[in-house]
Amino acid sequence: MDATNRPEQQPEQQPEETLRDTRAWYQSKLMKRLRRSPLAVLGVVILVAYVLIAIFSPQLTHDRLGRGCMRDLGVTPTTSERLLNPTDPVFWRAIVVPPGSCFRIPRASFSPIPQPPNAEYPLGITGGGYDILYGLIWGARMAFYIGILVTGISLGLGIVVGGLAGYFGGWFDNLLMRFTDTVLAFPNLILAMVFATIFGAGLTNVMVALALVGWPAYARIMRGEILRVREQEFVDGARALGANGLRIFFKHILPNSLAAIIIVASLDIGAVVLTAAALSFLGLGAEVGFADWGQMVNFARQYIKGPPGDPFGYWYVSLWPGLAIVVFVLGWNLLGDAFRDVFDPRA
Amino acid sequence: MIAFIIRRLLMLPVVIIAVSIVIVGLLQFLSPAQRAAAFVRSEQQLRNIDAIIEQYQLDAPFPVQYWNWASEAVQGNWGYSRASSEPVLTTIRKRLPASIELALLALLPVIGLGIWLGTAAALNQEKLVDQATRILSILGWSLPTFVLGIWLLVIFYGGLDWFQPGRLSNQYIIEMASGGFTTYTGMMTVDALLNGRFDIFVDALAHLVLPVITLAVVSSAQITRVMRTSLLDALSQDYVRTARSKGLPDRSVNLKHARRNALIPVITLSSLAFAFLLNGVVVTETIFNYPGIGIWAATAAVQLDVPAVLGFALVTAAIVVLANLVADVLYAVVDPRIRYD
Repeated sequence: MDATNRPEQQPEQQPEETLRDTRAWYQSKLMKRLRRSPLAVLGVVILVAYVLIAIFSPQLTHDRLGRGCMRDLGVTPTTSERLLNPTDPVFWRAIVVPPGSCFRIPRASFSPIPQPPNAEYPLGITGGGYDILYGLIWGARMAFYIGILVTGISLGLGIVVGGLAGYFGGWFDNLLMRFTDTVLAFPNLILAMVFATIFGAGLTNVMVALALVGWPAYARIMRGEILRVREQEFVDGARALGANGLRIFFKHILPNSLAAIIIVASLDIGAVVLTAAALSFLGLGAEVGFADWGQMVNFARQYIKGPPGDPFGYWYVSLWPGLAIVVFVLGWNLLGDAFRDVFDPRA
Repeated sequence: MIAFIIRRLLMLPVVIIAVSIVIVGLLQFLSPAQRAAAFVRSEQQLRNIDAIIEQYQLDAPFPVQYWNWASEAVQGNWGYSRASSEPVLTTIRKRLPASIELALLALLPVIGLGIWLGTAAALNQEKLVDQATRILSILGWSLPTFVLGIWLLVIFYGGLDWFQPGRLSNQYIIEMASGGFTTYTGMMTVDALLNGRFDIFVDALAHLVLPVITLAVVSSAQITRVMRTSLLDALSQDYVRTARSKGLPDRSVNLKHARRNALIPVITLSSLAFAFLLNGVVVTETIFNYPGIGIWAATAAVQLDVPAVLGFALVTAAIVVLANLVADVLYAVVDPRIRYD
């Protein structure tokens, strides 16, 4: 269990160093090339926009919050302006720990017929009266929750297992690598589907399933990195100075192995959100009315054909949630693409 | 080579056993009563859960349970699927050909488009074509199957009504139900031609257009990228420079010397892409209501129909192993330097 805690402590030991290096980091070859690539900049702009939307989702939707959400936040329709005031504690509470009821999309009506965009509901209303704009804004928050939580858990598992395999080697290493071979060869959506079936539907179970599917990839990278770093001269140096095995591992090998895997993992967040959305789309994730993009696209399947005489009549029900996902994934891919370019100019 | 293929085929049961151990093992997290649900077919049985648990030894230790499952599975009893109301193996036999047909048809545009665009991009490195291809492939890669599928359905079915979901038009389904159409392979396009029914062939093809586009977009973007990288790599090789210095025309150097060698990783990737098309097949079939194993598995997953999902996972594992085998064999075929002994 010792190994689980160490990696998280690592960043705390370095703040001074990073602070000093900030300028150098900004001027580094990597950052220069990233800044020069317009596509990478576009990717960053897209992602920053999504992050801001996710953080300020309570503020952006303060005038359209559902009743349950307002009650749990302790505001009323007339006092919901308080959410806009940073000196009011409720401003911060809504940002940091919004009540779960805020993820329920408020219903404008109970009519099964979607309503086209209008001044009050700029993106329209789906059947069942769900406000599309609200769903997308809180869906962005949900997407980051899912992406960061799932990636974090699989990363932690991957670091521990890969670290153990790299450190001990031998039969354990062999067994692990054969196992990860099998898991990695398996289409990830199908594997997550199998897990979600056994655990039962629901967003939490989908996240558990995704974490279980995700860690072998990280374990593999981690193991490779450990094997690479272990051969480097400063490790020999430490050994020559008389450091013991555990100290060398935690002080020298582990910190130097983490950089690559953390970059890979953070770029994976987009893919994780996508798989989660696909599972939600298949009906394994969030239930109807929950602010989750995949669920909203799934719900849109009931409105493929418009009302008689107006075949495109319900376009907004499927366009907006789909677009939210596509642009989000595009942002991650643009960034990932630029990173790959920098590390391997040929690719 | 033959020995290599046989050795790899012997791996197939090993992988199947490993996957089934993992899944049956995961089932141990459920209570015996939940596991018993897989055997319930009628309401009367529902009142007798304890009897079912006893009958199938569902509270026995894991090795016993796995042995019970495996000995039944080997005899062809993969359990009963509530989602399709028939035995799992029967459903797989009926539906697998439809999914294979869909995935194979999607593979054609994937490979064709990928090689063509990738070549164009690499030969015009850093020029307009390259940049355009790059943006296109990032866009295509960012289009999730389920979003693209829904959009295509809204436009071409909901709005324009050019293509319908499903596998065949109603008139042909009725005609087939009344007999006179022999099923040879289970792949509708092939069967239609074998029956000499060109009209059914066209109808089946029309139903495949949207699903194939939906499936193909993401994978072609990937192949395009690999093709571009691989061709750029080949173009910088010494033998390409030699060919050029001999005075061979550009076209011949690019397409004969460089591209042939650049195709090697693409061919490998294509057979792996086939396995990963299965990911998309689940989603695509669900959107277009296409009666393959994907939509069945998705329905089964929502209904917590464990035997069905287990069966589907085993079929997927088998396809993955076979696709890997095909990749390795093709690898040796196109690259004479590679020999498996």
